[in-house]
Amino acid sequence: MTISLEQMVSLAALAGEVMLKNGAETYRIEETMDHMAEACGASTVESFVIPTGVFLTVTDELGHTLTVMRRVRERTINLDRISKVNELSRSLVAQRMGYEDAKGILTSISKERTGFSLLPSMVASGVIGGGTAVLQNALFFEIVAAFAAAMVVRYIAHIVSKLHGIQFSFEFLGGMAVALCGVLLHSIWPHLRPDAVIIGGIMPLVPGVAITNAIRDVIAGDLLSGLSRGLEAALTAAAVAMGVVIILAFKV
Amino acid sequence: MLIVKIIAVLLISASVGILYRIPRKLLLYVSFVGMMAWLIMYTTMIFGANGILADFLASVAVGVIAEILARILRKPATIFIIPGFIPLVPGGDAYMTMLYMVEGNYVYGVAKGMQTILTAGAIAFGIFVSSTLFRLIKNYNLESCSTDVRKS
Repeated sequence: MTISLEQMVSLAALAGEVMLKNGAETYRIEETMDHMAEACGASTVESFVIPTGVFLTVTDELGHTLTVMRRVRERTINLDRISKVNELSRSLVAQRMGYEDAKGILTSISKERTGFSLLPSMVASGVIGGGTAVLQNALFFEIVAAFAAAMVVRYIAHIVSKLHGIQFSFEFLGGMAVALCGVLLHSIWPHLRPDAVIIGGIMPLVPGVAITNAIRDVIAGDLLSGLSRGLEAALTAAAVAMGVVIILAFKV
Repeated sequence: MLIVKIIAVLLISASVGILYRIPRKLLLYVSFVGMMAWLIMYTTMIFGANGILADFLASVAVGVIAEILARILRKPATIFIIPGFIPLVPGGDAYMTMLYMVEGNYVYGVAKGMQTILTAGAIAFGIFVSSTLFRLIKNYNLESCSTDVRKS
């Protein structure tokens, strides 16, 4: 078993980078990197993760130390990859897997396309919108309209992610599009109240991962990450609200 | 009507799971968590609890069920928490806040906004409570394990 210091560091840093890019909690990333480096034979490992970067210092048995930093600029949400990296680190620690296999699997996890393509995720987004309208005691046509509005939101997300949009531009445009759908349908067809359409449409924009990670980071003591993720959640909610309010203000 | 709503909640939770790309095998578990949370909120509101308390209890339930499922299935608990609490989000209150504010009814708007923020805070605090509880249990187990090792 001769794993060089560089190999240890690159494996652990790649794992941390993949997890951070896909929306894992801070303490989970730090623990995973520590465990992986220790399983490869490091004597001490120090890791530090903030929402925009990964820092890792590894010392091997000979006393050599190596520090790397990985900057993470674009973050998406892919909980499947997080659970895969988690399992990988578990089997590495339990010695069920060697270094070469782990490196290969990790590289393929970071590159593979998981999840669903555009149309199924648009339908899923639509179901969230329509289902929320059902919970609001909406009429049939309002449910259909909410479904359509939420699908439009997902399509906007697709376009904005291709353009590498600025933070919160997607949420703002999504809120605007939903409110526009509701108001336009109401003006064409006055029976249809815009309430359920807008409530259903903004549901896919709720920053679920940011809220959950903020809470769990604060509990784990990662105050820096917790605060910045909490701020991200609050600003996302504000962006959605501003998008809706602008369109509603035109109507009034 | 209740059956229709339950089906809607099941579909919402599973769809949130699809959007956040959770492992496909877990979609059924996730929709179960969402349904349990919404049913707890619904029944406590029928028994006269206000929305804030109902959302708090439901989100504590989300956290507890999610942590238990995470231990059984050996997956990160986040996977179960996020789709579980999305059906509890006070979208209606948030919309009414925006509408009142735009119409210039600031008194109603601030009141509704306060209610929205408190409800959202109750959801967050519910997850906080259950996650803290499980963290304490985990640390307690680690502590007792390490003292056993030291004794032996």
